[in-house]
Amino acid sequence: MSSRIRTYLGEALVLFLVVVMLLPIFYMLAMSFRSASEIAAQPLGLPTSFDLENYSNAIGSMHYVRSVANSLGITIAVTFVVSLLGSMAAYPLARKSGRVGRVIILLTSLSLATPGFVTITPYYVILNNIGLLNTYAGIILVYIATNLPLAIFFYVGFISTIPRELEEAARLDNCGDWKVFWYVIRPLLGPATATLSLFVMLAVWNDFLFPLLLLTDDSKGTIMVSVYRFLGNFEIKPDKLFPAAVLASLPLLVLFVIFQRRIVSGMTSGAVK
Amino acid sequence: MQIAAKANKMTNRTLLLFGLPAYVILLLFFVYPIILTLQLSFTDFRGFGEADWVGLKNYARILSHDRYFQQFLTTIKYAAFAVVFQTLLGLTFASWLHRMPRIRNFCRPALFVPAMLSTVVVAYVWQFIYSPLDGGLNAALESVGLGNFARGWLGSPDTALYAVVAVHVWMYTGYSTAIFLAGYANISEDIDEAGRLDGASSWQRFRHLEIPLLAPSFTIAVVLTTIGTLKSFELPFVMTGGGPDRATELVSIEIIKQLFNSSRFGFASALAILMLVVVVAVAAIQNAILRKNEEI
Repeated sequence: MSSRIRTYLGEALVLFLVVVMLLPIFYMLAMSFRSASEIAAQPLGLPTSFDLENYSNAIGSMHYVRSVANSLGITIAVTFVVSLLGSMAAYPLARKSGRVGRVIILLTSLSLATPGFVTITPYYVILNNIGLLNTYAGIILVYIATNLPLAIFFYVGFISTIPRELEEAARLDNCGDWKVFWYVIRPLLGPATATLSLFVMLAVWNDFLFPLLLLTDDSKGTIMVSVYRFLGNFEIKPDKLFPAAVLASLPLLVLFVIFQRRIVSGMTSGAVK
Repeated sequence: MQIAAKANKMTNRTLLLFGLPAYVILLLFFVYPIILTLQLSFTDFRGFGEADWVGLKNYARILSHDRYFQQFLTTIKYAAFAVVFQTLLGLTFASWLHRMPRIRNFCRPALFVPAMLSTVVVAYVWQFIYSPLDGGLNAALESVGLGNFARGWLGSPDTALYAVVAVHVWMYTGYSTAIFLAGYANISEDIDEAGRLDGASSWQRFRHLEIPLLAPSFTIAVVLTTIGTLKSFELPFVMTGGGPDRATELVSIEIIKQLFNSSRFGFASALAILMLVVVVAVAAIQNAILRKNEEI
């Protein structure tokens, strides 16, 4: 067998396996257009028509627009604070090595490794004590705290790739650290902030535990809590399940198709360091 | 010289001043919560009113009941299976895609797509795929003549845990693949080329050149996926709720049940502290072992 044919066969095999990995997602899309009785009669059948009835039911009864708006609003507030405070903390960490810096980095990585179900009890107690339980402000504070370490890591990595020469002219003009940061470094952080905001978006959009327990008002729920409340725990109906799953995933899938390079390389570059 | 001196002038004071807002938030919303959890774990706090100090009673209860021990065991088993299979699958895909530049740029993000979905959505969709009635998996098995294997995957204690682990692996294999591909990108072309010139087969190059050179990627992939799997909560919570017969009852599920079904804040805190100890210990041990491996 010539080596060229072997290459083609190998590629075809790997492509086939990748498609198999994606089958559950095609399945989710295909089922979302079928009625419960169609699925019962033929569990693997394709949709016969692109009937949007399932979707209009789901959009109406899961408060789709409202919960998407909640998720987006929380994401924007968190991204804004986290990118500002994160980049400020990161600048000296990236420029100065020393024991204090290492301790700070160690502490932040520890908080990245802490599971949400470990800190949920104290968050509940703290927010309850300061009267922020079941408020947007409360959950935004919690998300700021859980996303800050990621932001700090991100900006430390990014700022250390900015050549120091850029700062030196400003330093010669007798600018202090703050002015150098604000006028020289901060304007260069755009790409890092763009990637970071995608990650905050992912974290907030897909999170379930925190809003489930800290934002119990029906009207304040984020998208995943709406999905959970809409579907419940018992006797799940496919004509509710699949359109809700697609609606909850679609915005992020679109975002991923547009920004996939940024997301994949951001996730791995953060990891490689 | 003067420039260098100026650039190095950044002091610890700047370090703390610039980071002050961030550190205050981390202090109040990370360090203090951990301390509060520790404090609560010695009480019988029930969510409101006074908390009475009960000493080590919560911990004694955890250690004396087989049920909680089993939950820690299930959590570790879940993590171990998920990490092993996810790492092996990720490495396999990466080693193939490394050799197939033409399809690499399509396959890398394609494998990543499941990780973009929410665990809640994934859990619901797979719960239906596994369903004995109308579910996609049994129907697919029957259509290819493997109908004998059809079963209620989540309904039996023998298969439920593995069924949930499989979903976890499905979701994050693309992540491991991307980490290993990034590792491959750091291996110089010359080394592979030299191996090829020496007549090494594809497998020999993989086994004797690439695996040792990928050691740093192993460290990252294993430590990160371990932390990720120990954080697992939504998948079993939605898919099985810990059942059947406690087969998928992870510590995370028990904590949430104690907290919000029985309002046992103190007891849940003790479980959380022990879980945190497990996470940190496992990550530290893995890191130490794998880093040592990198040096060889």
